[in-house]
Amino acid sequence: MFQRILALIIIVFFISRVFWQKRKKQIQVIVFVFWLVFWALAGILVLFLKQIDKFVSYLGFSASGIDILLYLGIAILFYFIFRLRLKLAKIEKDITVIVRNIALKDEK
Amino acid sequence: MGTLGHKKVIVIIPAYNEEEKIAAVIKEVKPNVDEVVLVDDGSDDRTVELAQKQEVIVLRHLFNRGQGAALETGNQYALKQGADIIVHFDADGQFLAGEIKNIIKPIENGEAEVVLGSRFMGKKSNIPWLKKNIIFPLARKVNRLMGINLTDPQSGFRAFSRRVNEQLRIEQDGSAHCSEILNKIFYYKFTVKEISITVIYKDFGQSFFRGKGRGMGGIRIVKDLILAKLIN
Repeated sequence: MFQRILALIIIVFFISRVFWQKRKKQIQVIVFVFWLVFWALAGILVLFLKQIDKFVSYLGFSASGIDILLYLGIAILFYFIFRLRLKLAKIEKDITVIVRNIALKDEK
Repeated sequence: MGTLGHKKVIVIIPAYNEEEKIAAVIKEVKPNVDEVVLVDDGSDDRTVELAQKQEVIVLRHLFNRGQGAALETGNQYALKQGADIIVHFDADGQFLAGEIKNIIKPIENGEAEVVLGSRFMGKKSNIPWLKKNIIFPLARKVNRLMGINLTDPQSGFRAFSRRVNEQLRIEQDGSAHCSEILNKIFYYKFTVKEISITVIYKDFGQSFFRGKGRGMGGIRIVKDLILAKLIN
């Protein structure tokens, strides 16, 4: 019980940070919505951990609900890294185009 | 475009920190062609200064973008200058300038649109053991799987006709451009001819993990090719 309360306090703290950053106009609306949904979802999952435990055992997993969430979190992180790499490669391509255009303009 | 009967030949030399060899390479190449274009790929040594002293066109990349990127910059410049034949030549003195006439001949005669220099067609080249016995046979097998049947899978000495240069865009900035060029040559169904060339290896240069400049080294080439497939 104590762990869940602690987790909820942390989540509330992060949600308040998201609102604070939005008010200070440090983040865009889309980023604000993303993190708000993310932390709200984390809060819901913490509140319904027992139901999640039952659900994952119903699906046939031997691990508990919190373990499954951890695995899921890692999988999502990998996906984000993959997306970031693709984005980085695209930015690299754009840099090459800019460097090339400058080279062609400044021919010596 | 060249005058009647004469085809304008532009040689593109991509260079990254090649101050030791660049002046000598340009001196040897210059008498064989109409124009030499050095594409400096963000060198931080005296490459640019030494090339400018040889009175050739120098295009400068502000940062190191890789050999493929430098070649594409040269290709686009050559296209604007009305080149009929474009030759790619290395800056490190590996190739013989005297063989440029051999590589452009099939294009002048209308025999081929692309001519690739091959290290495996008779002439002696002191190819490092790893390249000769592992990297090249492996690359040849991969190429054959994709329908590309050539004796030299990674040749950097090549010539294109204007039509080829108009269509073939090099998108791989690093060393993966070698494989990319071969793929596109076969994709567009250009007529290809391989000719024998001599290659002098002064050091063992590129390895599985490292190479000079961006996107060089065997592992990085494979990584670049996979990423390119995912992006496009």
